[in-house]
Amino acid sequence: MKKPLVSLRDASTGYFSDIVLKNVDFDVYPNDFIGVIGPNGGGKTTLIKAILGVLPLFKGKISFPAGKPEMGYLPQISQVDKTFPITVRDLVASGLKAKSNWFPQLNKSQKQQVSAMLEEAGLSRLASKPIGELSGGQFQKSFLCRALINQPSLLILDEPNTFVDKAFEQELYRWLKTLNEKMAIILVSHDIGTISPLVKSIACVNINLHYHPSNQLTEEILKVYNCPVDIIAHGPVPHRVLKEHDI
Amino acid sequence: MSEFFSILEYTFFQNALLAAVLTSILAAMVGTYIVSRKIVFITGGITHASFGGIGMAYFFGLNPILGAAVFAVISATGIEWISWRGKVREDSAIAIFWSLGMALGIIFVFMTPGYTPNLMSFLFGSILSVGKAELYLLLGFCIILGLFFLIYFRPVVYTAFDPEFAQIMGVPVAFFRFAMAVIIALSIVISIRSVGIILVLSLFTVPQITAMLFTRDFAKIIPLAGFFGILGSLAGLFSSYYYDIPSGAAIIFFLTLQYLLLRGFVLTRDSLKRTTN
Repeated sequence: MKKPLVSLRDASTGYFSDIVLKNVDFDVYPNDFIGVIGPNGGGKTTLIKAILGVLPLFKGKISFPAGKPEMGYLPQISQVDKTFPITVRDLVASGLKAKSNWFPQLNKSQKQQVSAMLEEAGLSRLASKPIGELSGGQFQKSFLCRALINQPSLLILDEPNTFVDKAFEQELYRWLKTLNEKMAIILVSHDIGTISPLVKSIACVNINLHYHPSNQLTEEILKVYNCPVDIIAHGPVPHRVLKEHDI
Repeated sequence: MSEFFSILEYTFFQNALLAAVLTSILAAMVGTYIVSRKIVFITGGITHASFGGIGMAYFFGLNPILGAAVFAVISATGIEWISWRGKVREDSAIAIFWSLGMALGIIFVFMTPGYTPNLMSFLFGSILSVGKAELYLLLGFCIILGLFFLIYFRPVVYTAFDPEFAQIMGVPVAFFRFAMAVIIALSIVISIRSVGIILVLSLFTVPQITAMLFTRDFAKIIPLAGFFGILGSLAGLFSSYYYDIPSGAAIIFFLTLQYLLLRGFVLTRDSLKRTTN
């Protein structure tokens, strides 16, 4: 068995004195594709912030048994200031670490890396555009490039399918399938219908975390896991529709 | 025309010109950060809080600029700290610093026996009386700040744009936030001499929003804002001399006029483009 990239043991965390996640055990292995679902306010985003290291744990332990992995992160679009004067190129470049902290400039090969990434994603034409002039899909794509440019072994996406058109959503899912051959992916979504055929396993977060090692979810399992989920179903991805249920 | 430029022979006017140019460059760098991060209101709070320091310095017979600097830095880092902790609403915190600073300033000025010289120059600015020492201070600060921005441009911009992501990328976010808070405070205090407490805020915002009519790239806003800042300041300075009006008010008037004219130009250009397409 491979070592996990990230391992949470009996972890509790939250904001100030509010505990949002309690006694969570969670392992992410290389090549995992985990869908994180759960109700709004259930702690989905809190979970990934703990993994990313921006939220300290109140209790429990986080470890990286195979060494601290490079992590790529795509935040929720609503948390981003779209009017900020930053170009697509600079945005993508912000996903690269400079070699020196004292003189944090990018070197030539890193700048080429940014250009290559933009080229690969078909964003070269938009490189000098400010992010405020992008469409929803272009916006997400640029942020995904920022997450990918550091060649992460763990990619974490928070609701990547909001505010994008259906065509881009399909492109995104195809992209993620290919990426999953090279890296583990954690995909947070309130929309279990669309992500369920895509992911390999599901983590249901609602204060506690219940891990389900397959993408087949039945209403009964959700009930057992105490995981009320908003079900929004839309095609043309094969999807299941589950009824909403009470806690 | 030669008569027009004859005032350039006077040292006081040369000093004023240099002060206007240097202040514009300073404001271009710091103001772009302020406008981009949408912390104009915070900057207003810091500016007015610094009046408390001026009043206190008068009362104790100290250098008013030094007093203003201490108050500005304390309020800037205080506001940043409060918004960092997130427990108090940031705008309420700003209002407290804003009004408390002004109140303290008024109380101390009132308690100071006799005449308080130059008080009006701090409120409304008096660029025509800037001395050599102040010019060197401005120049030194401009150079240090320019180097800081050149070297740390990436972390400064990324921390302003998406602090959480910057933190994940290993940027010392807290350091850059507080460093910028101190830089904002000191830049404001140094610029007070040119346009005064009441008007200084516009020096840090109007050239920037003028530049943003033409570009939405942080790195390009700075030089463009510097250019518009210098242009407006010089227009204000010359007219303040020839029409004998207060320099600070004249500078702000021309900066705003410039913005309105260019905005009108951009709007007309865009609507013409739409009709021809």
